[in-house]
Amino acid sequence: MTAIDDSTKPSESSRQGSKGSRRKPAPSPWRAKKIKSDKNPGGLASLNGKWGYLFTAPFFVMFLIFGLAPIVYSTVIAFFNWDPIGEVEFIGLKNFEDLLADDRFWLALGNTMEIWVLATFPALVGSIGLAAILRNRFLRGATAWRTVLLVPNITSVIAVAIVFGQLFGRDFGMINNVIEALGFPRVDFIEDSFASHVAIATMITWRWMGYNALIFLASMLAIPDELYESASLDGASAWQQFRYVTLPGLRNTITFVLIVGTIGGLQVFAEPLTLGGGLSGGSSRQFSTLTLFLYEQAFASYQWGYAAAVGILITFIVLIVSAINFAITRRLADESTR
Amino acid sequence: MAKFFAKKRVLAATSALALLSVLSIGVEPAKSADAPVKITVWSFGDVIQRDLVRQYQALHPNVTIEYTKYNLDDVNGTKLITQCSAYKLTKKLGGPDIVAVEVAYSGKWRATPSCFQDLRKMETSDTNVAAGVKAGLSGSDLKADYLPWRWEQGVGYDDSVIGIPTDVGGLEVAYRSDLFKKAGLPFERTAVGKLWPTWDKFIETGKKYVAKLTAAQKKKNFAFIDDAGSIYTAMLNQGTAKYYENDGTDAGKLVYKNNPAIKKAWDTTINAMNSGISSKTAQFTADWPVGMNNGKFAVILSPAWMTEYIKAQAPSTKGKWDIATIPVGGGNQGGTQLTIPAGAVNKQEAYDFMTWYLAPAQQLQMFKKFGLFPSTLASYKDPAVADYKDPFFNNAPVGKIYGEGMLKLKPIFEGTCQRAIDMAFGAGLGRVQAKKQTAAASWTATLAALSKDKCLSSGN
Repeated sequence: MTAIDDSTKPSESSRQGSKGSRRKPAPSPWRAKKIKSDKNPGGLASLNGKWGYLFTAPFFVMFLIFGLAPIVYSTVIAFFNWDPIGEVEFIGLKNFEDLLADDRFWLALGNTMEIWVLATFPALVGSIGLAAILRNRFLRGATAWRTVLLVPNITSVIAVAIVFGQLFGRDFGMINNVIEALGFPRVDFIEDSFASHVAIATMITWRWMGYNALIFLASMLAIPDELYESASLDGASAWQQFRYVTLPGLRNTITFVLIVGTIGGLQVFAEPLTLGGGLSGGSSRQFSTLTLFLYEQAFASYQWGYAAAVGILITFIVLIVSAINFAITRRLADESTR
Repeated sequence: MAKFFAKKRVLAATSALALLSVLSIGVEPAKSADAPVKITVWSFGDVIQRDLVRQYQALHPNVTIEYTKYNLDDVNGTKLITQCSAYKLTKKLGGPDIVAVEVAYSGKWRATPSCFQDLRKMETSDTNVAAGVKAGLSGSDLKADYLPWRWEQGVGYDDSVIGIPTDVGGLEVAYRSDLFKKAGLPFERTAVGKLWPTWDKFIETGKKYVAKLTAAQKKKNFAFIDDAGSIYTAMLNQGTAKYYENDGTDAGKLVYKNNPAIKKAWDTTINAMNSGISSKTAQFTADWPVGMNNGKFAVILSPAWMTEYIKAQAPSTKGKWDIATIPVGGGNQGGTQLTIPAGAVNKQEAYDFMTWYLAPAQQLQMFKKFGLFPSTLASYKDPAVADYKDPFFNNAPVGKIYGEGMLKLKPIFEGTCQRAIDMAFGAGLGRVQAKKQTAAASWTATLAALSKDKCLSSGN
């Protein structure tokens, strides 16, 4: 039977082919558009032209006012001794020189990096794990679980800070009660440098892990089932499937989540501010972050130029860290596909 | 949920404001006497009371008072700076008609009076004559009605009047009489006040109290006072000079390095910390209200407005608290002035509202309803204040105790960087309390940090 089928197929296709060859070849869509717009400059096709500018204008107008203008403005004032309501004096690169010699800046940078590492990498593993669980097709109430994951993300940072403030309290906090019950000494989550970083990283992780899990889930669902089928036919275990099918498929998503996380994580502000050490980030500046330092300089010491210089350095630091991230995740993903 | 909506409204208000300034709608319509007017107020905490706003709107149906509460650092720092610099840049009127300025920031704003309307040049209209505010009163005419040291907090360094005082903080000692009794100390308020004529005696009393605590309690940081750091602020506010000295210039002279009052307050506070009388519970943290309820500490240096907070947070301790006089006598913490920004649109209407809102009659109402102490002198002779007893505080004559303390205070010269210096010394004391540094090392580190601080080195 199969032999007959096979023998008929070529003849059929050749017939179709001969039919097609008699006709004019179908015009490519790109060509078609071009012809159309030549004939008729109005209509839908012209959306690519001047009308397109009009429709995209709202975004660019808003971006100019609230995006570009502040960037330009803060770049300019970084070269001044700029009192917002007093005198203004051009001082060239002095703000940057002072900043690089300011140990408060380096301390803030160190704190920020430590919080960023603590908040990013455990959360990355956690959110991929969550996504893998949610991907399970036998999971009941999948939509409900996905919705629940998003709740922390839409909760106000202030509300989060109040709840975590109760949890991390030194003398009556729940976490310390557990630590003490386990036989360890109580931890001061505000005065102790590392502990305060853990507390802040926990708040950030709680807020973003579910959100990232949903991004990973969407990306996992886009991996063709055939890959898993053939992998299981080849005898790959669940872990091997995850390692050699899922992870390489998530390569781009991991890069994306890491870079977005880096941009956010290096600008962490609300969590350390609300932890309760004031604008200086604790008595020995133990959780002063870069943005908190910027804010302190601008609005407690009224040094707008100095603060703007901090902002510019933050931009460069984010660019550098993102580039390193990008390179590393690329390499890891390439190795894993080999 | 309410907080969520409030936040949304703030967001809407600010974005509307931003849009307004972007579109520069600075057209001023001609006003008739009864044309509808909207007075916009930026405030924080409970400075503006809904109840009194309603009364004013009932008196003046054409007036709407739109007030928004912000975080103190936001409204006195970020928002006011941005508002003033925008006005100076564009010279366009807009933004709030009234801004509440707290004393922590008054040093900064008194040094830049150009951001505000000089109230000496304003005069009350006849709109509130029936409500008891005479017409034609300028800022200078109002001065005599208020506590002199409190009035000074709203006077610019060029002698212009930029703000009118709202309530007074005062500072006395709130203590748990039941815990004092348990520790074998005198617990009746006059006797308690006599325990501590000086701060050193206060610390001695604390030591006696702590000696009676169990080891288990001490392990959980049970002690005498909530946070010894508050002694520092209290002592400084009892003097006449803090970080700046009035040398006749607008900026004042920086004296934080050699003002003996600062070193003395610092040393006494360190002594208190080292003697173990502090429960190391910072105010307004999560552990603080818990401590009010479970007796983790027996003493709070409490401004008048804080007594309301204690009542709200620890209702089950009613009658166990009492009020005694503060060591040395007289003290203050906090206090707010209402100001009119230079860029305000409805200055006359704002001034009329302010002068009504802060007149003795209204301040008396606020005392009766919300426990806020009046800044008007006449109110202290009123029996409603002078004879006021608070059942929560074991019927202590709160009005008399706070009132007498407030009359003892003198004006303090503030300065532009006061907030930054305060924070640096506060952090220094915090490091000692957390045992991160010795007192001497922390003092050196604080002075070193301040000498590098750009606010001070740029000539403020």
